[in-house]
Amino acid sequence: MRKPRNKNKKTAIVLFSAAAGMVGLAFAAVPLYQLFCQVTGFGGTPKIFAAAPTASMATPAREITVRFDANVNAGLPWRFQPERRTIRVRAGTPTEINYRAGNLSDQTTTGNATYNVTPFKAGEYFSKIECFCFTEQRLKAGEEAVMGVQFFVDPAIFTDPNTQDVNEITLSYTFFRAPNRNEDSDKKVVSRR
Amino acid sequence: MANETTVAEAAPAKAHGNGHENGHGHHPTGWRRWLFSTNHKDIGTMYIVLSLVAALVGGAMSFLIRLELAEPGIQYNLFWLDNEAAYLQFYNVLVTGHGFIMVFFVVMPAMIGGFGNWFVPLLIGAPDMAFPRMNNISFWLLAASLVLLLIAAFTQGGPGTGWTVYPPLSNAEFHPGAAVDLGILSLHLAGASSVLGAVNFITTIFNMRAPGLVIHRMPLFVWAILVTAFLLLLAIPVLAGALTMLLTDRNFGTAFFDAARGGDPVLWQQLFWFFGHPEVYIIIIPAFGIISQVISTFSKKPIFGYLGMAYAMVFIGFVGFIVWAHHLYTSGLDVDTRAYFVSATLIIAVPTGIKIFSWLATMWGGSIDFRTPMLFACGFIFLFVMGGVTGVALANAGMDIAFHDTYFVVAHFHYVMAIAAVFAMFAGFYYWIGKMSGRQYPRVLARVHFWMFFIGVNVVFFPQHFLGMAGMPRRIPDYPDAYAGWNYVSSVGSYLTTASTLLFFYIIWRTLRSGEKVAANQWGEGATTLEWTVDSPAPFHTHEDLPDMREKQPAE
Repeated sequence: MRKPRNKNKKTAIVLFSAAAGMVGLAFAAVPLYQLFCQVTGFGGTPKIFAAAPTASMATPAREITVRFDANVNAGLPWRFQPERRTIRVRAGTPTEINYRAGNLSDQTTTGNATYNVTPFKAGEYFSKIECFCFTEQRLKAGEEAVMGVQFFVDPAIFTDPNTQDVNEITLSYTFFRAPNRNEDSDKKVVSRR
Repeated sequence: MANETTVAEAAPAKAHGNGHENGHGHHPTGWRRWLFSTNHKDIGTMYIVLSLVAALVGGAMSFLIRLELAEPGIQYNLFWLDNEAAYLQFYNVLVTGHGFIMVFFVVMPAMIGGFGNWFVPLLIGAPDMAFPRMNNISFWLLAASLVLLLIAAFTQGGPGTGWTVYPPLSNAEFHPGAAVDLGILSLHLAGASSVLGAVNFITTIFNMRAPGLVIHRMPLFVWAILVTAFLLLLAIPVLAGALTMLLTDRNFGTAFFDAARGGDPVLWQQLFWFFGHPEVYIIIIPAFGIISQVISTFSKKPIFGYLGMAYAMVFIGFVGFIVWAHHLYTSGLDVDTRAYFVSATLIIAVPTGIKIFSWLATMWGGSIDFRTPMLFACGFIFLFVMGGVTGVALANAGMDIAFHDTYFVVAHFHYVMAIAAVFAMFAGFYYWIGKMSGRQYPRVLARVHFWMFFIGVNVVFFPQHFLGMAGMPRRIPDYPDAYAGWNYVSSVGSYLTTASTLLFFYIIWRTLRSGEKVAANQWGEGATTLEWTVDSPAPFHTHEDLPDMREKQPAE
């Protein structure tokens, strides 16, 4: 009876390892999924570039409309809106626009903005160079601030057959209250890029 | 003290002594026999009893849902809840509980734990499962899990998340309190139970087959359990991971699924359905196995295209892992991704078509005997084809976006997966109850049960296609008057279905109490598999001398 029992044990060990491996894969899915969204622009995730595009990229003269949307979660007592609602931009040309935010409460509060673009399929071609949403923003009681975004639209959006019907991209932000932050301390704001 | 030794206490001791003389004749009696059981038949019986108990609870929930939906408006005065908000949450809890209980505590325990434990060792000529003590742990984990789920339902309003537990509805903001946490822990236990069971089945089937019973000669029910066990082994851990993330999101400040803090609720949908789609095959593949055995037996022919049938199940199991995103067409997938998931999903129609074809080809030209198990097998084929047709429709992203979250989807999956699986369970029950209890079920009542149940469920679910196509959303207790007619019909169907379920419990009682004794092989020449070579009821220990299959014809 020894031999078959050992064989059973061996089979069971292999099978349990497979199950454990699948648990590992489930957790590995979290960073992989984030990476996947950033690389492919899935779900309207804009790309992030450290520098402006090279000159060769900015060839076509075609323009595209970019609209700006601003939302504030109910938990954050802020006013938040873009300085202008729409802008026509040349593809490949870095553009800078501003949002204005104001703290309506009598306390210092910290906010953190999530962002995406619609239509989702344009996310792949919408690249940010600089954005207030890369870091947390802190406003003192009653303080107002101008928050800048620098972006460009990849000219490849005009050559991809999938995005031929895109004439307008909407960039949307939602400010949430940053969790568990000691609002009164002068601790340096943590980069969340 | 010696004086207090009674006759009753002496008797087991004597039986114990005899047991040693007979080798394997002794076993624990009373509650020890069940609580400490390592016997595959006793554990299988316990799984079936658990499934029956859970079926009463889950069935009662669906009955309450149909009562609420019988007429437009909120029927909250039916219940003890005094305010409408509490009642609406209670309705959500009913929908959630019905889903969880039917999937994890009725279908899976009956087919995998119950029939699987009882008949896999019998069918492959093994004396028991590979790890009998682990088998015991599997069962009692599941029992504990059911208790936890029922406690969750009565905790702070209960979990009203739906069985898919999507955040943000399931996170701490919308479900504060312990109900969802208890539900998560319940699923963790049920998952652990399933993984242990899966390891046990795979090891048993790989290592403990009788001499000569090579893998390509195994009965199709064994093939079905093998494929199912692999699906469990690979899918359940993903659910466990996702549930753990949800648990830490709710209680320990992580943000896996919280958009406000950089998480993504759609990630939950991806992970859940990477488990959830294989899960629906975990439910239906054992049903395929039972139906193959039954149709072969009552057509008195080996199954048509045996290898094709076996590998169709393997292929369905494999493809089941790469089609999950057809549950989230509306979550913003781009057109290429949807095109892939549409085609991958449609491909599943090929192996399932092979199975339907082979069942019909087995019956074709056979000497068919329409006993009750065969009736249920034919009912299964009808329901499965009905649901399969709507499944092919829903596989197309364009149509699915229109039908998403409507009663059309509810009708589809109840036909193809839920009720079809219940038909297979009834087929298996009537097919094997003679082997399990040694008694004949009442034949006429069983036929009445079939027809009541068949008509009842069709009256429940067929009109739901119309409601869904007219746009009625699921999981909402109220609806406009325009939907009143078919909803009323559907509810009337549920009264008939409920009556047939009560009849089924009466049939069980009649069978066990006064059923006549049956022979070892009650089905005659069509029943060629190994379980019909042992006595009815199957003795406590079987196949102690391994049957030699080297000389015999293939089992199916």
